[in-house]
Amino acid sequence: MQAVAVLRPMNQGIGMTKLRSLISAGALALAIGAPALVAVPSAAFAKGVLRLAQTQDLVSLDPIATSDNASIYAQLLVFDTLLRPSKDATKLEPGLAESWKVSDDGMTYSFKLRDAKFSDGTPVTAADVAFSLKRAGSDASSWKRFFSGIDTIETPDDRTVVLKLKKVFTPLLNNLALFSSAILPQKAFESAGDKFFDKPIGSGPFTVAAWNKGQGLSLKKNPHYWQAGKPDLDGAELMVIPEGNSRVLKLQAGEIDAAIDIPLNQLQALGRDGKIKTAVADVLRTDFVLMNTKKKPFDDLRVRQALNYAIDKEGLVKALLYGTGKVSNSPMPPMAYADPNLKPYPHDVAKAKALLAEAGYKDGFKTSLLVDSGRPLHRQLAQALQAALKQIGVTADIRLVEGGTHWTTTKSGDYEMAVAYASSDTIDPDQLVGFLVVNPERANAYHTEWKSERVNELYEKERVTADGPERGGMFQEIVRLAHDGAPSVFLFYPGTSYAYRSNVEGFEVLPTSNFRLEDVKLK
Amino acid sequence: MLIYVFKRLVQLVPVLFGITLACFLLLRALPGDPATLLLGARGGPEEIALMKQRLGLDLPLWRQYLLFLADIGSGSLGRSVVHAQPVMQLVLERLPATLWLVAYSTVLAVAMTVPLALWSAMRRGGPVDLAIKLAFTIVIAMPSFWLGLIFVILFAIWLPLFPTSGYGDDLLSRLHHTTLPALVIALATASLTIRSLRSAILAVLGSDYVTTARAKGAGTGRLMGVHVLPNALISSISVLGAHTSWVIGGTVVIETVFALPGLGSLFVESIFSRDYPLIQGLTIVFAVLVVLINLATDLAYALADPRIRLE
Repeated sequence: MQAVAVLRPMNQGIGMTKLRSLISAGALALAIGAPALVAVPSAAFAKGVLRLAQTQDLVSLDPIATSDNASIYAQLLVFDTLLRPSKDATKLEPGLAESWKVSDDGMTYSFKLRDAKFSDGTPVTAADVAFSLKRAGSDASSWKRFFSGIDTIETPDDRTVVLKLKKVFTPLLNNLALFSSAILPQKAFESAGDKFFDKPIGSGPFTVAAWNKGQGLSLKKNPHYWQAGKPDLDGAELMVIPEGNSRVLKLQAGEIDAAIDIPLNQLQALGRDGKIKTAVADVLRTDFVLMNTKKKPFDDLRVRQALNYAIDKEGLVKALLYGTGKVSNSPMPPMAYADPNLKPYPHDVAKAKALLAEAGYKDGFKTSLLVDSGRPLHRQLAQALQAALKQIGVTADIRLVEGGTHWTTTKSGDYEMAVAYASSDTIDPDQLVGFLVVNPERANAYHTEWKSERVNELYEKERVTADGPERGGMFQEIVRLAHDGAPSVFLFYPGTSYAYRSNVEGFEVLPTSNFRLEDVKLK
Repeated sequence: MLIYVFKRLVQLVPVLFGITLACFLLLRALPGDPATLLLGARGGPEEIALMKQRLGLDLPLWRQYLLFLADIGSGSLGRSVVHAQPVMQLVLERLPATLWLVAYSTVLAVAMTVPLALWSAMRRGGPVDLAIKLAFTIVIAMPSFWLGLIFVILFAIWLPLFPTSGYGDDLLSRLHHTTLPALVIALATASLTIRSLRSAILAVLGSDYVTTARAKGAGTGRLMGVHVLPNALISSISVLGAHTSWVIGGTVVIETVFALPGLGSLFVESIFSRDYPLIQGLTIVFAVLVVLINLATDLAYALADPRIRLE
């Protein structure tokens, strides 16, 4: 108290005045300095550069190294593949190959290359294609499995590539449209060594100007790109803005032109003022709850079906996806050869209870539900599922674990139920079917251990049958069997939300989740 | 002084040794390994075995540990599994943003702490003191995530003084881009240091030598600057040191909200992918930085109070 008494008169003296002026000087400096600075960054952008915000930075531009989305999207902008999925994901269209032919016995694939150049001006040759595909099928590649069917690669001339197979393998054509089949310039790659992917050379619409790790990738137009008049943009900035609200705020502030993954609860409000357009793309993704069929009571088909009847999937789509997704009818997303007549399990609690009683679980049972804590959608989903299961007497204990643990736990079969999802890198159902319902295969029906000999048989057949209605029929039968066998609780197909300012033209997220910036224009 | 610094740096060696061992073993106790997680849905048993072999994960643990020590010795800290680059290179790409944020926020925190603590102490119990106390209690109770977003809405959208996020290219634009995140961190730090400095100032003001100095006719500036502050600073320096150590690796949330390329988010990503070499390397970098900050804290004691001898 004494100290304060001593000090009090001084407060009104020099000390306080100095302090006050210091604070106001600081505030003044902020107020004057800041607006002057604001103009600089926005004016520094050229008119033709699209600033696009994504959730994550890419990991690598090497097409055979990783499979995170940001890396894939960037690779598809920098490199070309022989073929590529059409924008509507219904067929393959020419990429670097202007035409191709599959021999009648399905053992020989011939590709005629178009007159294309890499971004350094050198022509794309058959030797580059052979080199790149061999690399993609080598031991160093995480995607080896997808190219293992290739026996030899011949290059009769600079513009022709001939693949000879060990045995018929129909999905190969689609695998050649995969990012991991990107065509690299052999000479430039070999002379750059390890450094090649710091600033890779490709024949895609864009080339890498700079990659600031953790901040984003700067792309500039490839002047040698083969599609005349494209890209219209001078370049693109793929910016990393991990937080959903931050992406929305930046879009509103005009600091970016487009953003992917808009929080669904803000999507409607964002589009309301007309300056920003929003959309939700249908992508090849499906969400479900895996059931471990090796464990009781999930070894009983009636229990698995009962759970499918017990969940109000329409309600989940409305509540969790704000109506932007669709209810799923099987573990597969709607893609090539999908059966339009296959209906989802209806929401029918009485039927669910009856099935449970029939299986001997009249009073329900106790179980656990494994959830990846890093996925906000799945955390919410788990709560909703828990409540829904309660209505048929099933008590599900939610086990929140981090992503790596989630994957490892399901893989080792140490779970009862697990919320999960799958998405496809190709437009052909083969890849997902192999992963989701075939057992034994690499994931044993996505770790549910569900097994259908008929599915396995059809899978073997589908892979050696030429593309067409007959092969389509096989896929439809596989999916129907999976629907009936219910290895998982099929939930919904969520879309990918995105938004862009109204001066952006032609920006869209494709069913394969990537985007073609060569078609984008800024007004 | 130099001998003291040298001694402290030598002490770092056993500390680091313990950290490498603990980190190495704890990582292997976690479920999941980098090969399985990297291959994900495409990984059949053959692919996973092949990848493990390539990464050296099939070797006995003691050999893996020795290889890890060799990587530290070589300075590369090993090679990241996911990024396929030397860990040191990845660290050096991200370190500047983290150090910048640490430095900027510390400067802001000190700039807030000293005047506000003085003001608060001089007006003890008055409305100013109460207002400062209330304001910083609110700050400390708010999640930095939320505070960051509020700042963005206030100072980047409504009153567009600052960009909403990003890091900037040159010094000026970096200052501009990182003011909001640095301010959020600085407020959290200041809410602790203002309290500790204020009570220390009050304690010092009650001591006899302050009365003596007053009696000799020392003015406010001299009294506070020469007699009170240096004696009151010690406790706040240790609070500041501890908090700065936290900022090194604990700003993931801030980095996420403001899209800053710092070490925190790299660390979290590396844990999710079980990128053993990267996690190990980052842990060592964090340990070294924390030890260095503690050392700097001790040196600051000696600067603030000449009676403290470092030996």
